[in-house]
Amino acid sequence: MIELSKDTKTLICIGTGGVGKTTLAAALAVSIAEQGKKVLVLTIDPSQRLAQTLGIKPDGEIHSIAVDKGSLSAAVINHHKAFEFFIRSATEDNPEAANALVNNRLYQQLSGRLSGSQEFTSLITLYRYSSSGDFDLVILDTPPSQHTWNFLRAPEKIAALFNEGISQWFRDLNSPSVGLLKKALNFGTTQVLKALENLTGSQFIKELGAFFQAVQKWQAPLENYVNNSHRLLTSATTEFVLVTALDPSRLAEAQKLSREIMTQGYRLKSIVINRVPDWVTDTQQFESERINQLSQYFLDLQKLLIQSVTGFKNKLKVYKCPEMVQNESDVKTLSKTAQLITEISTVSR
Amino acid sequence: MVKKVHFVTGKGGGGKSTLAAAFAYKISQTGARTLLTEFNDQSFFEDFLKTEKVSYSPINFRTQLDLALWSPESCLKEYAIHLLKVESLYRLFFENPVSKSLIQIAPGLHELALLGKATSSPREHGPVMKYDEIVIDSYSTGHFLSLLRAPSAMAQAIQFGPMGEQSRGIDKWLRNSDFTKVKVVSLPESLPATESIELYEQLLSEFGIKAQVVMNKLWKIENSHLQKLPSTVQSHFKNKMAEESEALARFSSKSIPLLQVPLITEVDSVKLIEKISEYLND
Repeated sequence: MIELSKDTKTLICIGTGGVGKTTLAAALAVSIAEQGKKVLVLTIDPSQRLAQTLGIKPDGEIHSIAVDKGSLSAAVINHHKAFEFFIRSATEDNPEAANALVNNRLYQQLSGRLSGSQEFTSLITLYRYSSSGDFDLVILDTPPSQHTWNFLRAPEKIAALFNEGISQWFRDLNSPSVGLLKKALNFGTTQVLKALENLTGSQFIKELGAFFQAVQKWQAPLENYVNNSHRLLTSATTEFVLVTALDPSRLAEAQKLSREIMTQGYRLKSIVINRVPDWVTDTQQFESERINQLSQYFLDLQKLLIQSVTGFKNKLKVYKCPEMVQNESDVKTLSKTAQLITEISTVSR
Repeated sequence: MVKKVHFVTGKGGGGKSTLAAAFAYKISQTGARTLLTEFNDQSFFEDFLKTEKVSYSPINFRTQLDLALWSPESCLKEYAIHLLKVESLYRLFFENPVSKSLIQIAPGLHELALLGKATSSPREHGPVMKYDEIVIDSYSTGHFLSLLRAPSAMAQAIQFGPMGEQSRGIDKWLRNSDFTKVKVVSLPESLPATESIELYEQLLSEFGIKAQVVMNKLWKIENSHLQKLPSTVQSHFKNKMAEESEALARFSSKSIPLLQVPLITEVDSVKLIEKISEYLND
């Protein structure tokens, strides 16, 4: 089992697609709950089998799962609902403004389509539950992305959208009372709108203007959220775990990712090499050339992976999790999977 | 003039990027001027192949083989500048907060920009590319279909004007089987096999594209190898090989031809793609 700081309240699992990150996040959740803790695991896109095992649906609701000891809850983040929750909770005193935005056609596109919106909704959902105080530990499985920094940079990306300048821009265009000089300055932007209109149609431009004006009300709460979630990610009670696999394509990636995460002040403390073949040993020779070749290959990759994350200022623990043939069939196997995670190396400068 | 574009897709973690590099290397070895590119905001290949920084302007990697990084924004920018001719006009149109936000949120625009670049040569739109073939490390299975669907969806939504016309043109070239080639990288395991078969069938029925499926990381173990092994190791590989032969059987029962690549025990990435390329014969 991986060792967490006793103060850790938020655990973020990162890693590229296909390494078994979601299953590992669930396994850690089960195992930590069974230590008597109150744990919530937020997943993004669980496989059918894992969703069945946990008894969860992609409805954004929190489902509780029977465990021997402690308490375990799980949810699949519903991006549409999470976005709407953010909009409504940020303007509790003004439900009409929230309705106007939620019913805007562009908003309806935006909450699902915007690049980085999955990352954003994951982060606001994490913030919502981490700050609720209802759980001892919240575990987040990050969105399947080729690059983890998409997740870390999501708040800035979204914040750029809620920019005051844009709605101002649309307002001025529609206002007859704007002075001559401003009108002249606006000529350039009018040309831009015309070009856009030719490309996309006038209906779209109208919706766009309405959207940016509606969205402006959320600028302050959004900035708040961005600051809070950044604080959460860099907080002393938040830990990151990098999940990776034995493949040459992961070597440079693990190195770059670890460096990136640490230099930005996030607390990466553990790396888990997932699905390590459990038959591989460095002491035994087999009477088959191909098997020996495979064994040596996996050992070499493991060694290179550890080397690639050596040399950081902070102490980093490298673990391996053995490959299980049926690793998501029930909650007990998930717990067992987590128990089988063993430390192979502590690396530091 | 680009004569062929190869899109490489597959389930995450299956070796999609490694295979894309191997295909590009293979094609460049035949003497064709080749570009290996990726749909990304940050380059994977610059780390994997240990090169200098890879960005939108290609860099040379090997004889006849260049590397580039295609982000939607840079594809769009190049296209717009080509259209507007003057960079300052581009700035006026695209580098103001409204356009920037619009580009972020407009559904389908990113996909259109990437595919527009990929098909720019036969459509004779945009700057000339000096390559014969382009290999694209594309999106993984789930995203790949929505990528290919974007142009026809856009053409339906916007029937008139330049955007509708462009979208129809892109869609037409994607459906041209002499120009557009799709490689699906699969693994000899149950879930990846299911995903690959579904994608193969969907590409065929929806786009008329006959994808080439690569079965990657085959174990290449004979039963005779197993006999003298400890029983735990034996049972491990018996399970693996049962899963492998079941996956292979599912492709052959659907008459889907497979290009088979063994698990190559090479940890050096550049040597690895050279070795894999030896298996990539049509």
